[in-house]
Formats: sequence, C-alpha cells, structure tokens
Amino acid sequence: MIEFDFQRNQGDFNLNVKCHLRAPVIGLFGASGAGKSTLLNMIAGLVKPQSGQLNIDGEYLFDSLRGIDVPIHQRRIGVVFQDSRLFPHLNIRDNLNYGFDLLAAKDRRFSFKQIVDLLEIGHLLAQKPHQISGGEKQRVSLGRALLTSPRLLLLDEPLASLDVRLKHQILPFLRRIKDEIHIPMIYVSHAIDEILYITSEIVIIEQGQLLAQGHFHNIIHQDNLQKIAQSLGLENVIGAVITSHDKTYGSTTLTHGNQIIMVSLLAAETGAQVTISIPASSIALSLSRLENVTIQNQLQGLVTEIKQIGFRILVTVDIGESQIVAEVTAKALETLNIVVGNSVYCLIKAPVIRAHGFI
Amino acid sequence: MNFSFLLLSPTEIEALLLSGKVAVFCTVIICVPGVAVAWLLAKKSFIGKSLLDSIVHLPLVLPPVVPGFLLLILLGGQGIIGKWLQSSFGISIAFTWIGAVIASAVMAFPLMVRSARLAISQVDAGLEAAAQSLGAHPLRVFFTITLPLAMPGIVTGLILAFSRSLGEFGATITFVGNIEGETRTLPLAIYTYTQIPGGDLAAMRLVILSMIIALSALMISDLLERKATKNIGRGLREKGND
Repeated sequence: MIEFDFQRNQGDFNLNVKCHLRAPVIGLFGASGAGKSTLLNMIAGLVKPQSGQLNIDGEYLFDSLRGIDVPIHQRRIGVVFQDSRLFPHLNIRDNLNYGFDLLAAKDRRFSFKQIVDLLEIGHLLAQKPHQISGGEKQRVSLGRALLTSPRLLLLDEPLASLDVRLKHQILPFLRRIKDEIHIPMIYVSHAIDEILYITSEIVIIEQGQLLAQGHFHNIIHQDNLQKIAQSLGLENVIGAVITSHDKTYGSTTLTHGNQIIMVSLLAAETGAQVTISIPASSIALSLSRLENVTIQNQLQGLVTEIKQIGFRILVTVDIGESQIVAEVTAKALETLNIVVGNSVYCLIKAPVIRAHGFI
Repeated sequence: MNFSFLLLSPTEIEALLLSGKVAVFCTVIICVPGVAVAWLLAKKSFIGKSLLDSIVHLPLVLPPVVPGFLLLILLGGQGIIGKWLQSSFGISIAFTWIGAVIASAVMAFPLMVRSARLAISQVDAGLEAAAQSLGAHPLRVFFTITLPLAMPGIVTGLILAFSRSLGEFGATITFVGNIEGETRTLPLAIYTYTQIPGGDLAAMRLVILSMIIALSALMISDLLERKATKNIGRGLREKGND
C-alpha cells in the first residue's frame, strides 16, 4: 500500500497530487511534462517535495510536518531510469552486484542467478555497459534494481528510448516480474498500450494534478478523461469474452453481450475476459447490413445521441451491452439522414480493434 | 667523440634528486585536499563558494614572489605561525626543503583543483542518484562512482601539479632561498649556473634534463588518461554513440 500527498511549486508548474494506491502494480500515465517523473522522483527521494507525506506499508518515508525525510539509500525503493544509468566503469556483473553486495544476506529475496536467469542476461556478465545494446542495458538496469529486493520498484519510462522491436522484447520481462516475483511497481509512461500490457490499474495525471485513478475500464469513460480518451483513440473501451480461435485465418471471435466481434488472433484461452478498444474514427455506419464487403464486424444497434463538436460528428449507438461512439462526417450524416432512433450497423475492420494486455 | 660533458656533476645530481623529492612530496600532500576542494566546488553550493574559488586560484594569477613573500611572513622564522612552530615544537620551515615543498604545493594546488573539479563536475549526477537508489551511502557513492569516473582528470591534475612543482622558482626562492643541497632545486640550480662564469654548459645540461622530465610527464599523463578513458568506455570509437 502506497499513500502519498505531495506539493511542489516550481515557477509556473504546480504539482499537487494526493493518492492512495492499493493495487500492487500501478501504471502512471500522463503527457510529457505532466509531472510523472517529478512524482516518481519524489517517491524515490531524488526530489524533495515542499510539503506532503509519503507512506509505504505503514511506514512514513517523508512527512514535512514531522520533519521525516528518509535518505534515498535507506528507502529500499528501486528505480529503473529511461537512460538505464549503468555504471560505465564496471562490468555487467559488478553493476548487478552493486546494490546486492550492500544488502544483508537475510534481506535478499532473490539470488543472483535467479534474476540473471529471469532476465536472460547471463551471457553479458563480463561485458562493459558500452558493449551491450539498449535493450540489454535496460534488462541489466532492471536486474540491478531487483537484486536490491526493493519494497517498491519505480520504472520511469524504461522503454521510451527503445524502438518498437526492443520494446516488445522487454515488455514480457516486465510482466514476468509482476507475475513471478510479485514486487509492487509503479510504471510511468506516456504510452498507454505499454501500461495496459502490464496493468489495468492506472493513475492519470495532467499538469501536476491527479485526473483519475482506478481500473482502466472503469475510469476511461469519465467525463474529465474524454479529451485524453479521444486523443488516444480510446472512446470505446469494452469488455468481451473469447469464444473461439481460428488459427487458420489468424482470428479470434469474441462475444460482447449478444454481439459477435472478430479480432486478430489473441494469445489467450477460450473463455478469457479481455478488454478491447475501438477508435471512434475507425467505425463507419451503415443503414443496412452490407454484403460483399471485407469488413468482418457489423454490429447492429440504435442511435441514441448525435453530438457535434466543430466539424466532428459523434454518433452514439446502443449495441445492447454497451454504447459505442462512431465519428462520421457532417456530410455523410446528412446524406444518409441518420437521426436518433435509427437502426444502424457499426462497421469495424478486425485489425483496428486493440485488445489491451496483448502485444 | 667524448660525451663526458653530458655527465651530471654531483651537485647537479643533488639538485635533480632534491627537485624530485620536493615534487613527489608536494603531489602527495595536495592530493587529498585537492580532490576535496574540487568536489566542494564542483558539487556543492555554499556561502563563500566564490571566495574559496578565488583564493584557491590566486597563486595562478599572482606573480610567484607574492605567495612566496606571504609564506615567509606567515611561516618564516619571524612569521606569525613560524614563530609559534619554532617555540612550541622546535620546527623551522623557512630555508628548508620542507618549505620548498610548501611553496610549490601552494603554487601547484590551483592546477590540481582546476583539473579535478572539471572531471568531478562532468560525472553524471544521474549515475550518483542511481547508486544511492541502490542503497549506497553518499560517501560510498563518492568512492565507488564519482572518484573512479573522475580519475582521468584527477590524474591529469596530479601530473600537472608534479610538473609545476618541478618548475617552481619564484615562490621557492623568495620563501626558502637558494641553499645548495637544501632548497636548490633544478630551476634554482639552472638560475645559479647562469649567474656564474663558465656555468653555461652545466645550465644547458639541466635545461635538457628539465625538458626530458617535462615531456615524459606530459606523455605519461596522456597515456594514463587514455587508459582510464578506455576503461570507462568513453573511447573515441564510442563517441556520439551513447
């Protein structure tokens, strides 16, 4: 359990965030400059809040009123930085051992070998940091922090400087850390897909203020997140159940209420619950079911609301289990003469549907 | 051909050995305070920082006789501290080789500090923060991260200081005089030979010797720096890669 309440004013940037985190793994999401890293640095002890408190599992690590400020090296909070920060004069083995050697044997939760095997870095031990790749550096950095058996692991955009291919190589390791060694984590990123791959429990901050907190599925439709949801193509986030896989065609069939939705093949068991999202701008509307068309999904529903924002028209369609929003042009709306109460088909290509928690 | 004119006379060898002794002691005594002051100036902000900075650098810009004269006033037989040292401990510094060490230490100190300061300030504070987050006390961080990464610059500073000490003239002659076998270091010996008739050949021998020592010091410094740089993985090959 992590509880914090931090205030810091720096010129025209005011950070004021109060939060109570219960889930073991939290994704901290926000645009660049929202204050994510500052928040993380305050938890680690690298930046001092002007006022506030930090309590982890009942122990105060910072309390401005009582003058408590536990030094960084005594906090037992591991940090993985975007730029890995491996010590250039030490080889990989010595980098990994740096904090491990400082830890009393009784406080060690993992063995050296266990972490090296988990992260598959055994072949790098004799190398110097400048001899290994960016993705390997991040894995070593992760291992170095894990070996200190931290009570909390902070990950500050650990994948931001890696290309997509490397990101996909590292994400599974992060999931392994979550699933196999159960260390509480706060994962900071401005990439929502990265966060959702690791956890559904998220905290969203904007301009130094807390915007929302909770299970992604439950908060994403909140009014104050509309703009963010739109910019991320997350207007329609719905739950669904896997009913079958078709390995020949590389597709998975889901059910959402009594609607059937086809998506690209997902690596999960039949019967599993998944969260999917469909960007509003990727949904087309039709007044009748189309034949001879490649589009796999035609979800029938009733138009319940038509909203105009500038030249954008957002049409809300009730598809039984939930309401989904489609973005159409004003001209198309007029041509088809769609009005509230109409029965329409939402046309969605299978590949545009994102399933969260999968890469 | 007879090369015996290249052979050093016993007095010249004495001057050379004395110079070496003074330079070694000078380098040793400024090593720790030099790194400490460099660290203070590089990493800390405190009241009086710019004053400390100026005082440390003063010997670089003053005519060397000025520090020499000030040392004489402070540590000389009639000096404030010198008198006390004499009466309490029976120690006399003026006109001894120890005085020569102190004079050259004062002159070499700013060179050492400048070089070490630059090196320490270039050590990435992010690495130090990372080390702390791994559980290392700030002191341990200094000795295991900051110091090793700044080592090339510190070594350069020490070699510069050593060379400066070998060449120290003004402050030394003002403070401890020019006593054969006690304070007559290499530059003082050269000066002395140029002042006596027929001393040119001896002076020339010592001049060549000085040049050889200076060149070697610079080359060793370069070698050590390159080795250290390679060791921390910032070789030319890697430039712009990381």
